[in-house]
Amino acid sequence: MAKQLAFHFDASACNGCKACQIACKDKNDLPLGINWRRVAQYGGGGWLPHPTRPDLVVANNIYAYSMSVACMHCENPACVQACPTNALTKRADGVVLINQDQCVGCRYCEWACPYGAPQFNEAKGVMTKCTFCEDLLAQGQNPACVDSCPARALAYGELSELRAKYGTENAIEPLPAANLTAPALVITPHRHAQASSKGTGHLLNGEEL
Amino acid sequence: MSDQDILTQTLNATPMTRRSFLKWSAAIGGTVALASGGLDVGLKSAQAAPAAEAAPAKTGKWVTAACWHNCGGHRCLNKAYVVDGVVVRQKTDDTHPDSPDFPQNRGCSRGRSQRHQTFGVDRIKYPMKRKNWEPGGGKKELRGKDEWVRISWDEALTLVANEIIRIQGKYGPGSIVSMGSEMNRTLTLFGGYTDVWGSTSWGTWLDSGPILGLGDGLTITSHNDRLDMRNSQLIVIWGENPAWSTQGNAMYFFQAAKKAGAKFIFVDPLYNDSASILADEWIPIRPATDHAMLLGMAHTLLVEDDPKTNPLIDWDFLNRCTVGFDKDHMPQGVDPKENFKDYVMGVTDGVPKTAEWASEICGIDPQRIRQLAREIGMNTRAALLTGWSVARVNNADAWPQMFMTLGCMTGHIGKPGHSTGVSCWEKAANGGPNLVDAGGTGLPSAGTNPVKSRLNNNELWDAIIKGKYTAGYKDVKDINIQMIYHGGTGSALNQKVGMMKGIQAHRKVELVVSHSHFLTSNSKYADIVLPVTTQWERWGYIKGNREVLIWASQVTPPLYEAKDDIWIAAEIAKRLGVDPRKVDALPLAQQVMNQIKGAMVTKDDGKTREPLVTITPDDVKGLAEQGVKVEAQTGRITLTEFREVGQYQVARKPGDKLGFIAFEAFRQDPAKNPIKTATGKFEIYSKAHAEFVKSKGWTEIAPIPTYNKAIEGYEDTFSDWKKKIKGEFPLQLVTIHYRRRSHSIFDNIPQLREVYPQEFMINPADAAARGLQNGDIALIRSRHGKVIRPVFVTERLMPGTVMLGEGAWAELDDATGIDKAGATNILNGAIPTGQGHQGWNSCNVQVEKYNGTLEPDVKWTQRIPVKGA
Amino acid sequence: MNVREWALITFTILAQMSVGSFIVLGVVHYFVGKKSGEKQADELSDRALLAIGPVLALGMAASLLHLGNPLNAYKAVTNLGTSWLSREIFFGVLFAVAGAVFAVMQWKKIATFQIRNLVAILAAVIGVALVYSMAMVYMMPTRPGWNLVTTPLAFFTTTLLLGVLAMGAAFVANYWYVQSKNPGCASEQCVLLRDSLRWFAVASIVLLGFQFVLLPLWVALMAGPATASAAMLVGEFGGVFALRLAFVFLGAGVLGIFLFRAASSPGQEKVMGTVAYLAFALVLVGEVLGRFLFYATATHFGLQ
Repeated sequence: MAKQLAFHFDASACNGCKACQIACKDKNDLPLGINWRRVAQYGGGGWLPHPTRPDLVVANNIYAYSMSVACMHCENPACVQACPTNALTKRADGVVLINQDQCVGCRYCEWACPYGAPQFNEAKGVMTKCTFCEDLLAQGQNPACVDSCPARALAYGELSELRAKYGTENAIEPLPAANLTAPALVITPHRHAQASSKGTGHLLNGEEL
Repeated sequence: MSDQDILTQTLNATPMTRRSFLKWSAAIGGTVALASGGLDVGLKSAQAAPAAEAAPAKTGKWVTAACWHNCGGHRCLNKAYVVDGVVVRQKTDDTHPDSPDFPQNRGCSRGRSQRHQTFGVDRIKYPMKRKNWEPGGGKKELRGKDEWVRISWDEALTLVANEIIRIQGKYGPGSIVSMGSEMNRTLTLFGGYTDVWGSTSWGTWLDSGPILGLGDGLTITSHNDRLDMRNSQLIVIWGENPAWSTQGNAMYFFQAAKKAGAKFIFVDPLYNDSASILADEWIPIRPATDHAMLLGMAHTLLVEDDPKTNPLIDWDFLNRCTVGFDKDHMPQGVDPKENFKDYVMGVTDGVPKTAEWASEICGIDPQRIRQLAREIGMNTRAALLTGWSVARVNNADAWPQMFMTLGCMTGHIGKPGHSTGVSCWEKAANGGPNLVDAGGTGLPSAGTNPVKSRLNNNELWDAIIKGKYTAGYKDVKDINIQMIYHGGTGSALNQKVGMMKGIQAHRKVELVVSHSHFLTSNSKYADIVLPVTTQWERWGYIKGNREVLIWASQVTPPLYEAKDDIWIAAEIAKRLGVDPRKVDALPLAQQVMNQIKGAMVTKDDGKTREPLVTITPDDVKGLAEQGVKVEAQTGRITLTEFREVGQYQVARKPGDKLGFIAFEAFRQDPAKNPIKTATGKFEIYSKAHAEFVKSKGWTEIAPIPTYNKAIEGYEDTFSDWKKKIKGEFPLQLVTIHYRRRSHSIFDNIPQLREVYPQEFMINPADAAARGLQNGDIALIRSRHGKVIRPVFVTERLMPGTVMLGEGAWAELDDATGIDKAGATNILNGAIPTGQGHQGWNSCNVQVEKYNGTLEPDVKWTQRIPVKGA
Repeated sequence: MNVREWALITFTILAQMSVGSFIVLGVVHYFVGKKSGEKQADELSDRALLAIGPVLALGMAASLLHLGNPLNAYKAVTNLGTSWLSREIFFGVLFAVAGAVFAVMQWKKIATFQIRNLVAILAAVIGVALVYSMAMVYMMPTRPGWNLVTTPLAFFTTTLLLGVLAMGAAFVANYWYVQSKNPGCASEQCVLLRDSLRWFAVASIVLLGFQFVLLPLWVALMAGPATASAAMLVGEFGGVFALRLAFVFLGAGVLGIFLFRAASSPGQEKVMGTVAYLAFALVLVGEVLGRFLFYATATHFGLQ
């Protein structure tokens, strides 16, 4: 079986604090507008009138949960297929990397990716993306996001091992269905998790995502 | 985009060496003296510099870096990677393997943005003077919009000293109001100053808690420690969102309790992020009505309790450990009719405090109120935990007593798995005294402030404007404040209620001085701004929590012309003819080393303590070379290890002897182990409490926790409460701790602005009624001010309630009176009640669509004093 | 909409117009050559052929503006294996080369008529491959408003419609040029011009009909995740959409009929020419608006 590094995300633990996002931003010196790891919040439910008391309202199945999202280093990466210059490559360990010297800045990978992973650096005119902190991996360290999580909701490892340990879930709202790219992601679902494309909720982020 | 924006963005985006960083930043700062008209040529040419100077990748050094903010968090470990004098990266605790029992102290998005604060392009770089200021005030109305002129330190210090002499001479020593920091030492030695008082974060818990028997929640805790929390079957979180207000490990500790099987019930107007992870049930409640809900629950308990068939009330605990619950357990010399039980049952006032009675106020179905009362009955191992937010309500003086009373009734005090109290700030989810503590700094006191006038936070600005303040019960005194000294690097003007009046007050006095890292609200409305160092620029810093002691080291030499507050205080003292050595009485390095030497850690027996640090003769010699005097001693870890690791953490494991059950000994034998109240018991009836509140001079409360309607609470949203006709301000605003900031600190950091847009939260029904959709701009009006903000419609918020994060740096337009930053103290009025706490969570507002535009905060020009403010 | 997307609009419209023109020209040249001989055919169409090159070059130059790092543009053909964008660029360059080779051969009359015809057919096939690749670039599951059968159909319709009307305009211009150089010599050319324009008018009306089937089909197919695009098309951008329909309807439909009539009655050359110019201009604007809508209403499936 081919090697495939993957992230594990525990949605039942993540409270959406975004320490991972800022840790990533800090480690990679990302400018404003570029966030390789982001935290999407999803939720729904509503309010009903009280059956007998007009002055009361009743909360009806209100729920919310967070999803920390970075490059999924997909087994079938749409970005790599789309890239006209071979700037995007999938390494033997499954990590998808971009060689900026090779990038033409056409942003086609941005269209192709269902996870918003490749992000354009306006100043440099090239795409950027999560590197799985390959430099830290090479030094035997963990990716910055994994070590940052105060909720201990992020982990990484060999996909098959993560699946053996945490199951095979990889498509929870607001993520798209997994069949597009086969993301190297294992999710421990939140108790209110909604399956991709079948959710009853909506994004809950106040900021642009 | 202005030149300045471009430059700022470039600066923010470019990695730099220390030399180029200083050069660039100096180029910006150098234009301070320029009149309006933009940047000079030298500055523009400086833009080309960094590419040439960009250093080749060098290896650097990890330094334990201070994270010193009043964040309410858990005291996390922050490390900075310093390369060539510039911090290029940060990380958090990786000093030992992580486990739930012995967790790493992992920091938050704010702490991890610290390097963008210390090295922010918007740092104040030189002393500055307001262009039109002159002794006496000089066009005082221009404060907040005048231009800035760079001045030398000597000029600044002399100017401030001369004004202190002049103003004290003309108006008396009490004419200077001083807020915080080391300048209080100087002023204490030179005639004195008018002080400011009043609980801030704590709400009414600060004073009421200890008077009644429970802790305030920080210095004294009344909840059990984190490992014991795993013994609870039910954890009720009342008005708290630790995921936002207590970042760090609090949520991780709660998660462990959840894993251990605890059921969580959240009572809050917001289905908050903590609830989204922990809550099995959420009970939405109208803000500032919690007291009514608890009375309804108390009534239910009394009605439904049957010691044999349905034991809900812990009568044994009430009888042995409390006073005032019923007529048989009243303190001596008190009319037995004034007991709590008769009040609840309506015997006293003819109004039984039924669940139905409560529901009209708090908005919760009576069935749900009764059900929660049953769920927390005595036979459930329950932890009743609350944050301070519920007590930050006008008139909430009886709330801590009510919360305590419910805990007493159900007996959730003094046993494993049972606890009642405030669980927040660095003690969130982990009660008990510190297992490791720093020693004292050894800094001698500067003496007693000779001036006795003290202004309460709620009256501070009014007292400056009107010249009168409340000194006590039926005691209103005259005062003439002519100088405001902001000696702290927070932002008092921005962070106290009634900011609209605050600005007026700042424009009334003859001089405003501000120590500052940035052009905060304090500094923006000041005359003299003095740049001070951050903790990263100082010799060291000691901080900790119950299980951790952190020793942060200096990360960078002081940047630009920034000086320590104590240096400024001493230099001003010198110019006042005061001995500066009495102000700057002990070098910081010596203070820090005293704290380290005196640090004590609890031994495994849970009782005895030992010194934390071993100091060898070699250490003594090395420190002596730095001018630090210390004697050798034997402790648990070496000095070198402490410095290199940056922290010492007490290892915990289930079953160890380091746990904490609050009031355990008291519960077992109250007579032998009395608590520190007038009666030695929990005071459900407290004359001391009622008298304490009365003595402040504003409002009065009963000795038992009766319901007091909040000023600007739910009831005040109605013009006619009986007929339920809504008034001019029909919505209730709750001002939350927002993740972008620690109060006002970090509000200016671009990468945090990007992630947290300071959105205004409103329920879909309230939004629809006003034609508001996501992304629209809302105008929010209160009786006290107006702000605009982007709308975020969310069903997570209870109808009738709106929310806005506190701490944004006000951007007030004088012409329209509208603040576009959404500073909540523009909306929160200064309403003195009870014990003089600030009532941030009781505020009535109206909301409408605003037809102008509002750029996202992250795109605003940073506050760099190039021209104007 | 920003510079980058206007670059894409310009590129796709001009490139498709070039391919369409080349094919139309080939067809005309074949039939005219058969009817009136090679010389007349060359006289009618050779100059128009030369106009195609600059149009294509302009389009390809515009495409560079959509690149963040145009210096690497030459590397963009290195992933022919999986990237439709690579293929698009590859066929674009190949079409330019083949077209240029044919143009030079045709201009200088190099090789035989048959060989030149073969080269022309080859270039046309490459052109078709180019338009197909262009469409496939947008056929991604993450772009539900594009990932529909209507995308290639619309691209080919645009190709032919603009090809027909561009060549109509080019023929008219060529005719006036020939007239001005050598008055009276062009009577045979005049007949051929009218014949061609009649056929162009018919073709444009037919293509318009096809487009008026395609556009509602596009909206109808935008179900599921593409609903947002459909909503934008009839909502936020409803005005532009109406304008786009109006321009093409006027240009290809109403003026198509006028063109047919004018081309059917000798002596109406002046009117015919004006109508041909106007029809081309209106349809070009309509197609640009259409392409603008194609990009502007795009939504992303998944997280963006």
